[in-house]
Amino acid sequence: MVFLQEVIRHIYFAMTAFFGLLLLRGLFKRDTRKSLIYDIVYAYTIIPFLLRALHIR
Amino acid sequence: MSMTLQTTYTLAAMVATFVISSWKSRSPEISMVITAVVGALVAGFGFPVRLLVEGTLTYIDLALQFITASLFMNFYAEIGATNALVRNLVARFYDNKWLMLFLLAFVMLIPGAITGAGSVSILVVGGLVATVLEFMGFPPARRAAFVFIMAILSAAAPPINLWAMLMAAGANMPYVGFNTILLLPVLAVAIFSVFYFGRGTKPKPKAEVLAGLPSAARGMTWWRLALPFALLLLLILLSQYAAHSIPVIGLPLTFLLCAVLVMLLDPERRGLKRWYDVTIQTMESVFPLVATLVSVGVLVSMMALTGVRGLIAINFVTLPIVWIYVTALLFCPIAQGSLSYGSAAILGVPIIFRFNSVGINVTVVTAALALMFPLGDCVPPSRIVARLSIEKVGFKGSYMEFIRAIAVPWCVLAIVALTMLIFPRVFVPLTM
Repeated sequence: MVFLQEVIRHIYFAMTAFFGLLLLRGLFKRDTRKSLIYDIVYAYTIIPFLLRALHIR
Repeated sequence: MSMTLQTTYTLAAMVATFVISSWKSRSPEISMVITAVVGALVAGFGFPVRLLVEGTLTYIDLALQFITASLFMNFYAEIGATNALVRNLVARFYDNKWLMLFLLAFVMLIPGAITGAGSVSILVVGGLVATVLEFMGFPPARRAAFVFIMAILSAAAPPINLWAMLMAAGANMPYVGFNTILLLPVLAVAIFSVFYFGRGTKPKPKAEVLAGLPSAARGMTWWRLALPFALLLLLILLSQYAAHSIPVIGLPLTFLLCAVLVMLLDPERRGLKRWYDVTIQTMESVFPLVATLVSVGVLVSMMALTGVRGLIAINFVTLPIVWIYVTALLFCPIAQGSLSYGSAAILGVPIIFRFNSVGINVTVVTAALALMFPLGDCVPPSRIVARLSIEKVGFKGSYMEFIRAIAVPWCVLAIVALTMLIFPRVFVPLTM
């Protein structure tokens, strides 16, 4: 059980990293909301995903 | 200068900044972050980077849930399962108008109920439901209204009601006992809405409707339609009733497992490239909601730092309860229109504390508020769900015409929620 829980924990880190990378892609290349304002919104929305993926928070 | 006065100035500066920023930028997400930064500056904290960044992490688990749930529903739609589901419903039940309408309402309620976002319901099945409604003789305004009302009801329906979850998290109470007390009012208003919207409409012939719907994917069998939802139900039930026998999976991973199962069940065996494209589209469509959650986290964090959150809380805690009854239906929708899900954390939590201080069952109060906040999804500036409904249905009339079309079911939901707030004792048995 402990081992499985640890595996799930790492899956969550991987999941967060994957979605963080997709958001990073969206920052540079996206089909909707192309204004500068949404560049900024994308930029700060990535932050929590990045910090979680890097095990910082 | 007293602390209360200084905090009041900060609050006034934040409100003014939010109004101007929402007006100029047309983005409620960035307006919340700008408001947070201005609040910190006015309160004399400078630019507190560490706390701003920490604020972005407040609701990351909810954001993950949003993303994975939307991914599951979009994968399900991609393999043609949603089309097949609606087509089967029309083929079997179209001859009975009322049964058909109830099934369409049910189809609309499911995606939002399991994701917590009414916009997901609209994005996944809204277009198809609107097409069937058109064939059933619904005028455009009524189609948009039907989609909107079902979308907000789906967001309020259990198991995932984000307003209730945010309020429960903010008030340090478990998200337990909400299923029945949220489900029954949602079903009651949904049933009323079906009869209200369906009155006086004359459906077109069934053959014409079937010709207008997308053809069902080859190899789409009933078990391919049912298995993903069966797995979802199984994992949710296991996490509730066998919590000590299985590891904690969590809702995001549950949705992800269901999405993987959808990929495996795909009758056309799409390649990884196609799934990647769907994932990219999903991320783009769900991005405003994720950004809203991150921005709300930043705003709430700064409101706590500057004391504004405490000021609002104190004012609510000292407010006569009768005033909350009188003003709740005004402030909750307006807060939802401005702050989106942040309304629950900023306005909902102090109200819960107020009711808790006089010994009123807070589960009922939270459920009542969680039914009031979705009413604001048609209130400017954000009105995400209303905008999506209008766009998806292709309604070309004025916004006031749309408001008139939703008015009656909107008022019924408001009355139900207010009744729960005023007479909580009557509803306590539903929290068991």
